Amino acid sequence: MKKIFLPIFILSMHLLSGCSDEFLDVDQTESISTKDIELFNNDAGAATFVTAIYSKFLDFNMSSFSWNGVSSIASDDADKGSSPGDTGTDKDVMDALTYNPSSLSITEIFSANYEGINRCNQALNIIPQLEKADATLRARLMGEAKFLRAFMYFTLVKTYGGVPIIDRLPNPSSQEDRTMQLTRKSKEEVYAFIEKDLSDAIEVLFDKSQYPSSERGRASRGAAYALLAKVNLYQKNWQKVVDNCNLVTGYAIVPDYASMFRVAGENDAESIFEIQGVGSIPIRGIQNYSVSQGARGAGGWGWGFNTPSLSLLNAYEVGDLRRNATIIFAGTTLYDGRVVPTTVENPRYNYKAYSSAIPDAEQSDTNIKYLRFAEVLLMKAEALNELNQTSGAIPLLNQIRLRAGLGNTTAVSQADVRIAIWKERRVELAFEHDRFFDVVRTGQAVAAFAIHGKTFVAGKHEVFPLPQLFLNETAGLSSQNPGY
Amino acid sequence: MRNFIFSFLALILLPAYMSGQIIKGKVLDKEGIPVPAAIIIAAGSNTSADTDFDGNFNINAKVGEMLKISMLGFDPVSIAATAGLMTVTLQESQDTSLKEVVIIGYGSRKKIDNTSAITSLRAEEVSKMKVLNASQAIQGKAAGVQVISSDLPGAAPSIIIRGLGTALGGRTPLFIVDGMPTDNINNINTNDITAYEILKDASSLAIYGTRAANGVVIITTKQGGGNKISVEVETFAGFRAPLKAVKMAGSNKYSHYSNAALQTTTFSQDQPVNTDWFDAITRTGTYAQNNISVSGSSENVKYFFSAGNYEEKAVLNGLDFSRTTFRTNNEFKISKKLTVSQNLSFGSSNSTPKPLDAFTNAYKQSPIIPVRFPNGEYGISLVGANGFAGVAGSSFNNVGNPVAQLDYFDEQQRSITLQGGLKLDYDILDSLKFTSQFNGEYYSWKNYNFEDSRRIWETNNNPGRLSSIIYPVERNINVLTKGRSQYFNWNLSNYLTYNKVFANIHDIEVTAGTETSIRGPREDLRIVRRNVNENSNYWSLAGVDYGATVLNYNDVVSNENRLLSYFGRFQYKLMDRYLVTGTLRRDGSSNFGKDFRWGTFPALGLGWIVTKENFMANVKALNLLKLRGSWGKLGNQNVPLNNQAYSIAGLTSYLGGSILFDGTTINSQIDPSLSWEVTEEASVGLDFELLDSRLKGSFDVYDKTTNNVILNTRPLITSGISNASPAHVGEVSNRGYEIALRWDDRISENLSYWVGGNFSSNKNELTGLSNAILAPVIGGDLGNGQFTKILDNSAVGQPLGSFFMYEYAGFDPATGAKLYLNAAGNPVTQDALNAVTDKKFVGSILPTSNYGVTLGLNYKNFDFSVDGYGTAGAKVYNGKKAQRFAGENVEDSLATNFWTANNITAPNPAPFNQVPVASTFYLESGDFFRINNISLGYKIPLQGMFINACRIYVNAINPFITQRFSGFSPELNGDGNPYGSQGIELNAYPALRSIVVGANLKF
Repeated sequence: MKKIFLPIFILSMHLLSGCSDEFLDVDQTESISTKDIELFNNDAGAATFVTAIYSKFLDFNMSSFSWNGVSSIASDDADKGSSPGDTGTDKDVMDALTYNPSSLSITEIFSANYEGINRCNQALNIIPQLEKADATLRARLMGEAKFLRAFMYFTLVKTYGGVPIIDRLPNPSSQEDRTMQLTRKSKEEVYAFIEKDLSDAIEVLFDKSQYPSSERGRASRGAAYALLAKVNLYQKNWQKVVDNCNLVTGYAIVPDYASMFRVAGENDAESIFEIQGVGSIPIRGIQNYSVSQGARGAGGWGWGFNTPSLSLLNAYEVGDLRRNATIIFAGTTLYDGRVVPTTVENPRYNYKAYSSAIPDAEQSDTNIKYLRFAEVLLMKAEALNELNQTSGAIPLLNQIRLRAGLGNTTAVSQADVRIAIWKERRVELAFEHDRFFDVVRTGQAVAAFAIHGKTFVAGKHEVFPLPQLFLNETAGLSSQNPGY
Repeated sequence: MRNFIFSFLALILLPAYMSGQIIKGKVLDKEGIPVPAAIIIAAGSNTSADTDFDGNFNINAKVGEMLKISMLGFDPVSIAATAGLMTVTLQESQDTSLKEVVIIGYGSRKKIDNTSAITSLRAEEVSKMKVLNASQAIQGKAAGVQVISSDLPGAAPSIIIRGLGTALGGRTPLFIVDGMPTDNINNINTNDITAYEILKDASSLAIYGTRAANGVVIITTKQGGGNKISVEVETFAGFRAPLKAVKMAGSNKYSHYSNAALQTTTFSQDQPVNTDWFDAITRTGTYAQNNISVSGSSENVKYFFSAGNYEEKAVLNGLDFSRTTFRTNNEFKISKKLTVSQNLSFGSSNSTPKPLDAFTNAYKQSPIIPVRFPNGEYGISLVGANGFAGVAGSSFNNVGNPVAQLDYFDEQQRSITLQGGLKLDYDILDSLKFTSQFNGEYYSWKNYNFEDSRRIWETNNNPGRLSSIIYPVERNINVLTKGRSQYFNWNLSNYLTYNKVFANIHDIEVTAGTETSIRGPREDLRIVRRNVNENSNYWSLAGVDYGATVLNYNDVVSNENRLLSYFGRFQYKLMDRYLVTGTLRRDGSSNFGKDFRWGTFPALGLGWIVTKENFMANVKALNLLKLRGSWGKLGNQNVPLNNQAYSIAGLTSYLGGSILFDGTTINSQIDPSLSWEVTEEASVGLDFELLDSRLKGSFDVYDKTTNNVILNTRPLITSGISNASPAHVGEVSNRGYEIALRWDDRISENLSYWVGGNFSSNKNELTGLSNAILAPVIGGDLGNGQFTKILDNSAVGQPLGSFFMYEYAGFDPATGAKLYLNAAGNPVTQDALNAVTDKKFVGSILPTSNYGVTLGLNYKNFDFSVDGYGTAGAKVYNGKKAQRFAGENVEDSLATNFWTANNITAPNPAPFNQVPVASTFYLESGDFFRINNISLGYKIPLQGMFINACRIYVNAINPFITQRFSGFSPELNGDGNPYGSQGIELNAYPALRSIVVGANLKF
């Protein structure tokens, strides 16, 4: 027996020591190692890095509850809504403009957009390495990434003013990259960066019509021009607004305003850029976007937040078709036959977020329309008016009013037309995440909020505070916005 | 095990040499069983010999010469040599400390010669308490060991040995079952266990290297013995009921309170229904266990076979659990030098789990709602214009019907665990032994969960059975989830043990070996389908493609983990009194990067048996005094991994059409140097026995520091990386002491008794953080947007598992509104609080001390024992109470006397309709002392009958508790995570009181 065991023992000792390190090399199976980049070295693989960026817009922290808090509830178009006792974490203070640098909405919009920017930078870093993918495709995908990066920086600069510009993948152990991540750039530098990204994107993006039918939601050349026009608008570069609006071609306003916010109107002729939720299986939608704005209480179907304000209701002229397409009123019947009983907790809800098929689930088929041709017309009208071409502006404005079932504008003077366009923007784009930034941009904020019954402090509330989490990291490299 | 020790000792005997004549004899114990390896010394002839396996000896001596026969564990005997065959009977020594052997890693050691802190528990101590999991039975029995148990059938208790040293890593001790390392012992039948050793200090633990930092529990299962077949039957059955009740408000008080909260008269003050929801969802639990074992031994074979069955109908309606176990343990002595042992265990569990939030819902649901409306539908929270609950009206809370919840919840789980091993012991030389051991473990689990979505919807939306309310067609009629899970782990160890005594005073034992452990990839499958056949027989038909009905399909093969180890231990005993143990283990783990995967774990232990010194010879009162000291390093490799990976989950998107596209990105930053956590421990202790060994005790002091604790650091916010990045940035200290005392005495032949107790104190603290921003672990989720715990940069100086919340400051006498202290120290209302600045640390879920007591007596054929356990210093959060925000029920005490404008001095604040912030209002002391077990047994006197022995017994498990907590149980294991639901009573299974009657028969 001894003769058998000693060799076994010696053998096992040898086995263990001989190739011990190799024995410990275990390939991971739970997740795809970043060593295996070859898996993505093809057309479809390259595209996934850009799909991930679009996917970011479906996240709760990016497009849903917090975004409504910042872009809508904080504005004079909406109230917190819901039950009086349900704060929605911070929606009560967002509504009252008493938020602070730690408020969740303010923190989430900052971090979510930088998460999206990371995805852009990952795509911009990886796609050039995927040399087996088609070169034209790769160029276009890079263009989409740059468009989306510009879109997110535009959100950041509107919301916070100047922010750090992360234009590459930071190396965690590089001091230079650390400084880049912690230092605010000026508003002007951010706008310049956005314009550069959009110019690059315009070179390589397809027109909307060039995309296959299943990919019409991708960023197109028209979307890049429209966004560039809006960026110009925010900087009051009126001529550029006009020029870029003129380059947004192949779109038209649709006859029925209400249809745009239903499944049938998704990616219609007027749509330039929108975020896609699809209700057929597998369901993939904007997380809790619809349900968080659905009617609350007995007979309701949602959380009841972000309700149309009295100020918005009063802004509609008599006969404006957009009023009933934008606002769900308690005690009415919706287009799909759903009865909204009077027992719901709030008198009004956001119709544009309503999903007929899936009103009460986390995932729904609701889209968010970020750029529509109607806004291009309004931007152009506003710019022409500012360029003293008021007569050129009025027909554009009337085109929008006509579709809404209204007569031509009565405004004639440049100043009146300006006010008319601003008002038209409000009712046309209500609940499309534009209002707060628009009243700030146009300088109407103090007056508008007074009507809304809230105090907008000039010099402070134009931008939201930088998140405290970010300031804690910066150790003095960046400073807070004034007043916070 | 003893025989193994005996044969082992036989190897180290001094060689005999020839002189005089050959004297032959046999050494037996009092039951006539041969005693191998007894030592026979003929002082006159200066010769010695030892008995063989059959107790026979030959020695050169002169007839009439005095032979001294000694054997460990027996009293020595001196007898004159005779020419004929001598028969010597040895009496077992009363000095138990001499014969007690403890199992240490890769070997065993006489307890007296051991330098480390090990608590050994014998079968009778563990199996007396009739609980499913052996870990629960050790609660209160071992100093320095905190057990947080749960009476939920099948739940694994948490065991914390000498304090919690890790925040994110694995917290459970390593279990070694008959040499097999495993994660839990739910599959082990307590009746099969013969010994339970808890390794507590670095000197004993270091041999387990990178898996030792949380302590090690070694479980040894039974072996055959004796010279004939022995059959043992154990059977018991009992009843179970919640130990504590919480008195809820009845219907009228509820209505009064809710009306006050709403400032309306929504609810009638004279309610026709008064539902006790807790009563409605519970029943008297029953449980029973039956075991049979067959064991015995012959010259070359020892055998043990057992079968056991456990059945429980739990107190929660519909929750049933059963477990069946089989075990065979056999040992074959193939030759004088070669022994092969085999063990195999099979454990199968079946259960029908039920959602524990039914307890919370029962607490919250209003008593005005009937379990069922008169039309037969489940009652839901609708209040009509008459102020009564009915099938129509307005909803007044969003709590479902807990009875319906349980009725609709249809789940079944089954698991099978197979564990087996083969061990080979070969005596290469008298002093050198080779051991090779292979163990494998196979686990398979499956479940289904059926949700009758349409019926649930109709219950909640159409209690009036109106034909106008129709279930939306696009919804799932029902949803079926099926899960499958399995893994195979194996372990191979080979080691040599060399033991020799030189010059009678140098006793050396050296162990050296290697070990390979593979935790195979665990595969988890989960399929969610919709609209399956209503008849469960037809869920899985042949020839049907279910692809179109699949809502979800998950298939995960988790990473395989390999461990390669070399270990060595040197144990030295000089003159039977000076002890040295040195241990070294080198582990390589596949969990870590190439340059960071090898670690070395050394330990040193010293011991001095003072009472063996000559100068102590006259100190009669002191039977034993031993001093111990140890130092060592231990590892914890169950830490977050740091493999950088492409993220793909949740990154899909539609792009304007009907195709869902896949997405990929990278959402992590990696620290390539991530490796295991290292705990360094120094400890000293002493063991003593006084007054004829009637009083025994030990005292230990330890200082443990884990100075590279892994915590999640947060990448800079603008990096856009949302995944936390684990890094070695924390330092956790555990310091404490343990005292154990026990008094055993025999007053007369008929009466003996004991009294014992232990006390341990531990101070746990997160002592430091290197320069890093932590991704805060925001834990203790109450499910309503409120969180009660935090681990972030501000947690330095606090114990782990600390609560973090607002401090309650009474209520405003003018309004009855609850007030909280803000950072400036001023009382403010909930809405004026600042979430960032106003919260504070208010204590931890970890107790600072725990203690156990035991006492018992044996009188004639009666035996009686009582065991108790308590903890102090922990906080618990009354999470279910902190749920009310609209229309939920409240406790009777709260509804009876609350603030109103006319009663501003009431003890309770005004009713409110707002989610209450997490505050010390709901934080209570977790201190408790509980009698864990009272056992009364009677041995029926049986002489010469078919049955050799029969003990019948009655046990009361958890009969009494004193607690300061107002909820059901202050012992709240929750999910076992100090930053999860541990220490929070929310969706918690209540502690139970059980009465058990049973019998133990031996044939």
